[in-house]
Parts: sequence; C-alpha cells; structure tokens
Amino acid sequence: MHTLRLIFRFAAFTLVEYVRSGRALVEAAATIAVYAIFFRRQALDGDHFFALAALFTLALTFYTSSTILGLGDRPQGYLILARRIGRTGYLLGLYLAIILVTAAAYGALSLLVAAFTPVAGLGVAGWLLGSLPLLLNMFLLAALLTLIAPFVLSSGWRLALLGLIALAFSNSLLGGSALATLPTTLLTTIEVLRTMASAPLLPAFSGYELAISRDYSGPAFVIPLAQLSLTLGILALAVYAFARRDLIFSSN
Amino acid sequence: MTLSIEINNLQKAFDGQLVLQDVSLRVARGTIYGVLGPNGAGKSTLLHLLLGFLRPDHGTIRILGRHNPTEALARIGYLPERVRYHLHYSGREYLYYLGELSGLRGRRLAARVEDEIAQVGLREAADRPLRVYSRGMLQRIGIAQALLHEPELLLIDEPTGGLDPQGQEQLLTLLRALRSRGLTCLVATHQIAEAEALCDQVGILFHGRIATEVVLDDLHDIGRSVTIHTSRLPADVQAILAEFEPNVTYAEHEVRIDANTPVLQAQVLRVLIDAGIAIVTLEGQRRPLEELYLRIVHGESIEPPGMPPPRLPAAAPKLHHTGGDTLLRELLTNAEQQATIRNARRSTENSGRGCAATRH
Repeated sequence: MHTLRLIFRFAAFTLVEYVRSGRALVEAAATIAVYAIFFRRQALDGDHFFALAALFTLALTFYTSSTILGLGDRPQGYLILARRIGRTGYLLGLYLAIILVTAAAYGALSLLVAAFTPVAGLGVAGWLLGSLPLLLNMFLLAALLTLIAPFVLSSGWRLALLGLIALAFSNSLLGGSALATLPTTLLTTIEVLRTMASAPLLPAFSGYELAISRDYSGPAFVIPLAQLSLTLGILALAVYAFARRDLIFSSN
Repeated sequence: MTLSIEINNLQKAFDGQLVLQDVSLRVARGTIYGVLGPNGAGKSTLLHLLLGFLRPDHGTIRILGRHNPTEALARIGYLPERVRYHLHYSGREYLYYLGELSGLRGRRLAARVEDEIAQVGLREAADRPLRVYSRGMLQRIGIAQALLHEPELLLIDEPTGGLDPQGQEQLLTLLRALRSRGLTCLVATHQIAEAEALCDQVGILFHGRIATEVVLDDLHDIGRSVTIHTSRLPADVQAILAEFEPNVTYAEHEVRIDANTPVLQAQVLRVLIDAGIAIVTLEGQRRPLEELYLRIVHGESIEPPGMPPPRLPAAAPKLHHTGGDTLLRELLTNAEQQATIRNARRSTENSGRGCAATRH
C-alpha cells in the first residue's frame, strides 16, 4: 500500500511537470487536429471510429511514452531514486503517467466525437466494449516502449529485442524469391523464429480487431485477458531489468 | 566504534576501464569523511555505488549496517554534483514532493519542509519557480532536500559548488553543526581547503585508488613549509644555507624551508638577520594536506622507500597514522634530527668561525 502511494505520488509529480513544461500541449493539439481532420466532417459508424481511434492512440502512445520516458532518463532522476520510492516505484510511476496521459487523450477524443459528431448506433456500452481492447493495446505498447527505454535495457538486449520485433513483422519483407535461395535448414530456422517472435503480437492484433468488431462472443473474451497478461509480463520484465542494471542516466 | 560505511576492496569498471580499484575505507558514525581527488578520480562513481545506483564488480559495501545500499536509502541524504532539478516547481512544492517520496506525510512533512527552507535561508524565494533560482539558491535547495527526511548519513558530491564565499561558510558551519548532532557525512570534493575545513578524515582518491588516508587533526599539529623572499643573498650566506640542504633550498632572492622544521626555520631566520639580509616577505607555503595531495597527483612517493603503504585492518579500523601522516612525521623527524646533529657538530667546533663568517 505504501509503495502504491509512492508510485501514485511520483506519477502525479511527473504529470505536473509534463503539463507545466508545455509538453502536454502536443497531445492536446494532436487530439484536436485528429478530430478535426478525421472525425468532424464524416458520418461515422462504430467500426470506423474505433479503427481510426486505435491508430491515433497507438501513435499518441508512441509519442507520449518517448517523451515521458525521456523525462525519466535525466540526471534529475538520481534525486528521486535516492529516496524511498526505489527503482520499481520509479519505473511504474513513469508508466502510470504515460497511460494516464494517453487514456486522457483518448477520452478527450471520444468526448469531442460524442459532443459534436455522435457515432450512429454507438452507445455507452458499445463504446466501453470497443475501448477496452483499444486501451489495453495502448497499455501494451507503453509497456513495450518502457522495456526498451535506454535506461531500462542495455543496448545489447535492446538490439536483440528490436531484432525479434523486426523478425515478427518481417512476413512481407522476408519472403518470396529472396528466401527461395536460402538453404532449407536456414529457412526453417527463420520460420520458427518468426513464428515464435510473432506470437506475442497476436493479442495486440486480435485486440485491434476486437475493438472494431466489439464482438465478445465465443472465446473472444480471452483477448483482453491475453493483452493484460502480456502487458503485465512485459512490465515485470522491465522492472526486473531496471532493478539489475547500472543506473547511468542520460546527461542531456 | 560504530561504522556508518564500510567498504572493502571495491572495484568498478566501465567498458573494461577500471574506474575504482581495490578501494577500502571506513567511516565512523558521527564523523565527516572527505574523499579528495581530482576530476575523474572516481569520486562520483564511489557515491553512486554507495547509493546502489551502480553495482560493484568486486568487493563489498556495508552502509548503515546493510549490505544492500537500497535498503538503507530511507536513512541516507544525497546531494549530487551539478544537480539538475525539475525546474517547473517552486522550491516549496519541490520539497513537498521529495518529502512525500521519502515517506514523510502530513504535519511532519509540512514541518520538515518549512524547517529546511528556513535553515537554508530560502524563505522569501520558496514560492518562486526553481527555474528562476540562481546557482547558489539551487545548491541550497539541494541541501534542503538532502536533509529533509533527517537522514543518518549524508553523501555530498562537491558541496560548495556554486555557492558564494558566504554561502560556502554557512554550508560548512551547517555541516559541522549536523555532525555535532551525530550525522555522518561523506563528502566528495576536489577542493583541498574545503576538505581541510570540514573533514575529520580524508582519503585521497587518485586513479581509482585511495592513495592514502589522513586524520586532519594530526595534520593541523604539523607546521607548513615557509618561503622567505629576501634581498639578494650574498655568496657567503648562500654557502651557510647550503649546509642546511636538503631541508633548505635557496635562490638569489628566496629561501625555502621544508615543513615540520621549526628549529631549522629559526636557525635560517637567525642566519639571515645576522647577515643583515632584508626580508621582503615571509609566507607559509602549501598546507600539509595540499602538499600531500600534490605529491600524490604528481606521482611522487609518499612513503619512505621500501616501506609498504599502511593498510586499514579489516576488523578494527585504525583511523590514525596512515600514509600521509607518516610522510609528514618522517619529514618532521628528519628535519629535527638533522638540526640536532648540526648543532652538536657546531658546538664541538670553533663557535666563532661560523658566526664571524656570517657577519661578513
């Protein structure tokens, strides 16, 4: 309970600085701009809204995570980490700040749409059903970006992880005639690695589809659980890695 | 004696380059220990190891009775070198947040924040944003945050950096007052005067090693070398001064007498005065710690040839009579012995010969 309180205090501390420094204006401006460009002039249905909103929130999560993790990767952090909060609290506080900002931006976008261009046939229940996997995808991406932050993973591990992610996305890049010339053993190895690396992406892609369809029939309810589990797993890995490495913040 | 810090054979390398090697030191509770060394000697790395920011490659750290430094963080105050702040807060807000992150709450938090603001003299500026603070004011906020949670141990990297002379004096006075209340302090500094003014014991860190440790009280008892600027020294006076070598060196307008040689200093002054040499200035030269520090930095020997440097025993730390102290005592002994021998020799010779030659 005590650690949780410290995490919330540090998240609040980070958010206050984020807002006062003017960085939050980027999210505000982006939300308004995206609404004005993609949502204001169209007659939207639920599928269209969630398809667009999911892409926007992922892009926003990428930006917000980079910015807030950048705030955490400064020499100022030494003063925080020399206190009772500890490394776990520090990292989770930053993560909490990220998801609060991105969730707030998504909430603001939804409110703008609801207030000025209501989506036909999308009630509160439908919005909640679509928003759950969408938000979980944002949290998942934020966790992954937290894990590969320079102060969390060493450069070697980051490179390895980014290599795996690239391999997972490589279906369209590595294939066809380029692979045909490779020896069968190597080809099989690449296929196995690709399958293994792309497995963690399944909850994310399924979550995206679930947000658009909002169809929880059959085993679909497992998708949010898989998203949540993967997020927690990645966060645990980030906390583990951060707790064990030499802490040398960027001097910029 | 209770130890607040106990480090044994600490080693740390970055990218294969050793930054600290075989560092062992002990800091007794209620004392101020100075880690004195030039930039890049490994002082900040040592502090970061003590705070658990870095992990040692080899060796052990025991801080406030804990082998894991992070378990002791709640009882440690830390002021980094060139500290950077979250500048979008006012001084008071910042201290409130940091106090909360140290586990303080409610009335105690409020009382501690106000006490520290008053203690560092920032009452009027407390509600201004940190971005408008001067460097000295930021250093004061740094001190306030380090003391906010009433730590038992204070780790400070270059404490007076950015402070004006008055601020420096106030800080040193504050730290001495805290020591008198039982606070232990480890100060990393490259300023010899600061170490002399503040510390009970100093370890000189050079090229990642504790080259020597000295107890300041012992050094204070020992004199300083003296340089006498004179009118031109005639050849006959120079011939007399040559008898005092190597503890006395001279040039045409200058005589330099080694530290720890009160008898010799008096003798040389007598020779000069008797010869009618005008003394232009007489100045004490480098302080003993400075002398020792510079010898280490310049790679000169600090121990008598063939004698290994003294080591602190692992179980019962001996804080007195370590390397630098040995050097100075050796100098003192040598000078006094030589003076005694010379006096004895002269007393057996014709006493008038030397004096007559001097007067001419």
